[in-house]
Amino acid sequence: MRVFTGQRAFLLQRLTALVLLAYVAGAAVRLAFGAPLSLGQWRDSAAHPAGAALIALLAAALLLHAWVGVRDVVLDYVKPLGLRVAVLGMVAAALAFLGLWTALILASHAL
Amino acid sequence: MLQRSLQGDALAVSGWLRAPAALLAWAAAHHLFAGVRHLLMEAGIGSSLASARRSAYAALIAGAAIGVAALVA
Repeated sequence: MRVFTGQRAFLLQRLTALVLLAYVAGAAVRLAFGAPLSLGQWRDSAAHPAGAALIALLAAALLLHAWVGVRDVVLDYVKPLGLRVAVLGMVAAALAFLGLWTALILASHAL
Repeated sequence: MLQRSLQGDALAVSGWLRAPAALLAWAAAHHLFAGVRHLLMEAGIGSSLASARRSAYAALIAGAAIGVAALVA
């Protein structure tokens, strides 16, 4: 695997951007024209496998998009190798934590 | 936020939270419009200098409009 060629990150950034755009557009349409969601409906939809998968896809797209964006900024501006590795490591840990947390919330809610 | 919303905690933004929330909404909206603009230009749409200028201003204004709406709505 080639590291830092950038094309995979570029494609991942665009792909996740389109996924997020679809969610935002869907949410905006829903907000403008749809009936308000009751707490019960929201809880049921998040407990349903399909609903949980939609939330998981949103979280995955958001975290991967954030990762590529922060990575780009760090690669552009943080030049010392040790510092760069440290910063990227902390960002990766934080995003991984958020992803794991989301998975745990969804899993515990589904039970 | 996901956990709290599933527990039914109110996520309403009011009081002193309104300004920072509107700031975040502005940032997110600006990011979204600028991103869509870049995607369109990568697809070869609106990449002439004149139309790129226009879309740049449109993205700036649309993002700010969302931010203002979040502040006053």
